[in-house]
Amino acid sequence: MFLAFTLLTLGSALAMAFQKNVIVAGLFLVATFIGVSGLFILLSNPVSAALQIIVYAGAILVLLLFVIMMLNAHEEESPQDDLYLQRYIALGVGGLLLGGSLWFIKQSKLLQSVAERPIDQIAPTSLNEIGAEMLTRHIVSFEMIGLLLLVSMIGAITLVKKRL
Amino acid sequence: MMSTSSFLQALWTGGLQGYLLVGFLLFIIGLMTVLLRRSFLLQFMGIELMLNAINIILLAFGKWQGGAPTASTFYLFIIGVAACEAAVGLALIVELYRLKSTTDADQHSTLRH
Amino acid sequence: MTSVILIPLIPLLGFLINGLMGHRLSRGLSQVIACSTIASSFVLSLIWFTRVLASPDHRIDLVVGEWMSVGNLQIPFGFVIDALSSVMLLVITGIGLLIHIYSVGYMHHEKGTARYFAYLNLFVFFMTLLVMSSSLPFLFVGWEGVGLCSYLLIGYYFETEEAPQAGLKAFLYNRVGDVGVLIGMMTLFLIFGTLTIGDLLQQVSQLRPETHFGLITFATLMLFIGCTGKSAQIPLYLWLPDAMAGPTPVSALIHAATMVTSGIYLICRLAPLFVLTPITLHLIAWIGVATALFAATMALFQRDIKKVLAYSTVSQLGFMFLGLGVTGFSAGFFHVFTHAWFKALLFLGAGSVIVALHHEQDLFKMGGLREKLPITFYTMLIGALCLMGFPGTSGFASKDEILYLTYLHSPTLWGFGVLAAICTAFYTARLMVLVFAGKPRDLKIFDHAHESPKWITIPLILLSLGALLAVMFGWPESFGGHNTIAVWLHSAITYGQTAEQEAHTLIPTLAWTLALISTVLSLLSAGIAWKLYSKGLSWEEGFERKCSRTYQILREKYFVDQGVMALIINPFFFLGKVFWKLGDVIIIDGIGVNLPGALTRVMGDLGSHLQTGRVRNYTLLSVLGLLGLLMLLLVARI
Repeated sequence: MFLAFTLLTLGSALAMAFQKNVIVAGLFLVATFIGVSGLFILLSNPVSAALQIIVYAGAILVLLLFVIMMLNAHEEESPQDDLYLQRYIALGVGGLLLGGSLWFIKQSKLLQSVAERPIDQIAPTSLNEIGAEMLTRHIVSFEMIGLLLLVSMIGAITLVKKRL
Repeated sequence: MMSTSSFLQALWTGGLQGYLLVGFLLFIIGLMTVLLRRSFLLQFMGIELMLNAINIILLAFGKWQGGAPTASTFYLFIIGVAACEAAVGLALIVELYRLKSTTDADQHSTLRH
Repeated sequence: MTSVILIPLIPLLGFLINGLMGHRLSRGLSQVIACSTIASSFVLSLIWFTRVLASPDHRIDLVVGEWMSVGNLQIPFGFVIDALSSVMLLVITGIGLLIHIYSVGYMHHEKGTARYFAYLNLFVFFMTLLVMSSSLPFLFVGWEGVGLCSYLLIGYYFETEEAPQAGLKAFLYNRVGDVGVLIGMMTLFLIFGTLTIGDLLQQVSQLRPETHFGLITFATLMLFIGCTGKSAQIPLYLWLPDAMAGPTPVSALIHAATMVTSGIYLICRLAPLFVLTPITLHLIAWIGVATALFAATMALFQRDIKKVLAYSTVSQLGFMFLGLGVTGFSAGFFHVFTHAWFKALLFLGAGSVIVALHHEQDLFKMGGLREKLPITFYTMLIGALCLMGFPGTSGFASKDEILYLTYLHSPTLWGFGVLAAICTAFYTARLMVLVFAGKPRDLKIFDHAHESPKWITIPLILLSLGALLAVMFGWPESFGGHNTIAVWLHSAITYGQTAEQEAHTLIPTLAWTLALISTVLSLLSAGIAWKLYSKGLSWEEGFERKCSRTYQILREKYFVDQGVMALIINPFFFLGKVFWKLGDVIIIDGIGVNLPGALTRVMGDLGSHLQTGRVRNYTLLSVLGLLGLLMLLLVARI
């Protein structure tokens, strides 16, 4: 199961990265989100999985696709003026990070000790718990997020208006 | 230090290392997308990928902490921020498109030396 | 008691008034102020002289305050009036007063006399400070100050080329000597732990002769170097002839009577110290006699009347040092006293001649002025006779006392001294003959000549009286006199020399013989000079033709000036140029200043390529930065 979702996620991500057509890339992004959502379910967190689908795939991605359609962007990158320096350095960075992460995961004792905790009997997190947690201990952040949403909404509108 | 076999076993069966690896890989793919693609929209998608990778890692650790709701709460906040960022970012992309009629990131380089 | 400090302070006041407000005062008023300040100092000096005379140990100390107290070093503002300094004070203020009055007449046609009188007053201030101070640093203040005033006054005619340069030369040579004084002072402090003269000498008297011998010798040598600078001995005498570019009264006051004698004063003051180091004394004597002879030969064929007198001064100073070097401190100092009178007289007389001839200084253009300038002639004659050592004059007394003591020390030195005396007589006679006797050589100038005004002639008369009377103070015991001055100075310069005093009077016949020899030889050479020059310059021109090289060498002062210029000064200029072109321009400007600038610019140019305007590049850069940070954290943690 895990493997399946993993493959889905990573495969879609890779496909999206290498895609030339923006719209198809967007669709692959959707697939990735679905894969991630599946991983969340495996992580005993159905709430998050659901929210992932609703918010990410449903809202953000839709917005993205709207913009893609609106801008009529069929991106074909012309290979001439590609900045090879950037490419090589970026690839180098990627490789480094990859190697580094693999090495880290492999050799961290702390990680190992954490990983060996018994987790078989964990119940999936319920929405109640999350709600209770959020509205009691993280109430300030909750309000702040609301404020942030408001502000970004206003900002987005302001940015796009032609005449204020 | 894990041996290679137990490492791979953890990968197969969905141990903590597995999830972490997925998260890392996804992050790297997202990063590469941002750095190597020229379209703004594709870069934006890469950013979303990175956010998701982080979410995976967060929730993985959340599970191994005993399933406390703190991780999920935090996850909600991350989504909220992602939404805001998507809104504003896309608005900017639209504006830039209006300016230069292209979403090629390299064309928008008036602030150069 | 505190009127002691008025002696230097009143001239200082005069300096301030004339210096700051001089251009607003009328000429007469500024002159009156200047002269009256010196006059009051003179009166005060007289008063204090009598008080010192009356006081039991002939010594009055006064401490006004503390100058500085640093660690072990305490320097008070202390004044000492004893036999030595009281005589010096009288000379400074008395002759100074006469010269101030003289200047009124001499500077009649000049502009900016307020400045002149201000500087003169300042000079008197510093000089009195020098002779009255009770500690070496305080003395050094006066020492430096008179050097400064010398520079200011020599460069008085600042619009000419030579005067400021001469002033600078004087100051620089003085400065070189000052290094010696400073090092000497520091060494003395190192040895004795105090710089107050009284304490110093007390420690010296209790010192056993073997201790610190090398260091004390070093200290006295250094001090002597300072004296060669201030008192124009070899090798630092070169500034004195050039200093004649200043007004003549300045030459009279500073370079005949007072400043140049400060070196001798210093040695007399610290006599007990110098007695401990026979090596230094030996050196002093030899340099003294070398300078005396050397300078006397250089004076033989000079054309400028003031230059002759300048070399004469250097030569006579050599005599004084010779006296000091053979431990004849009072004899040397007596020569200071007499020389002040007759040399000032000669200088002022020369100034009178110059003014009378409308600023003509070339001897070859003078002649036959005896009838035209009678007062000048007779007064200068008196001065000349003193300089030559004519029997009965003060010059005779002091010079022959020195020569006698020299003979006791070393007949070779005496021989050289007599040679110098012979040359002295020659050039003095030559001077007098060329100026006053014979037929006038330049009729145009001769016709315009007239005797100088009263301001000039009265000081001349007074000075000649002083020159004549001075002999009374020091007629040596060897010739049956009382040698008042030596007895008087005994109270100030004590190093256990009562035994020597006896020795000095031991052999009167020897003294008479020596004096006879030197006097006869001098008179002979003077007579020869008179004979040779009374017909005009034909002899000298003949000599020039026949022995032109010798003549040239003598005339050009052995080319010393040129030598110094080539060997010392030009290398320094060259070095300076190297430092400028290489050090300053290339190294400091180029590498120190321009290079970082250029580097920064280059790096900036390179760095500006980072600013591409593309978001992707910036993202990459921030990722790199983040990576670096991560690395740092990981490395630090692990």
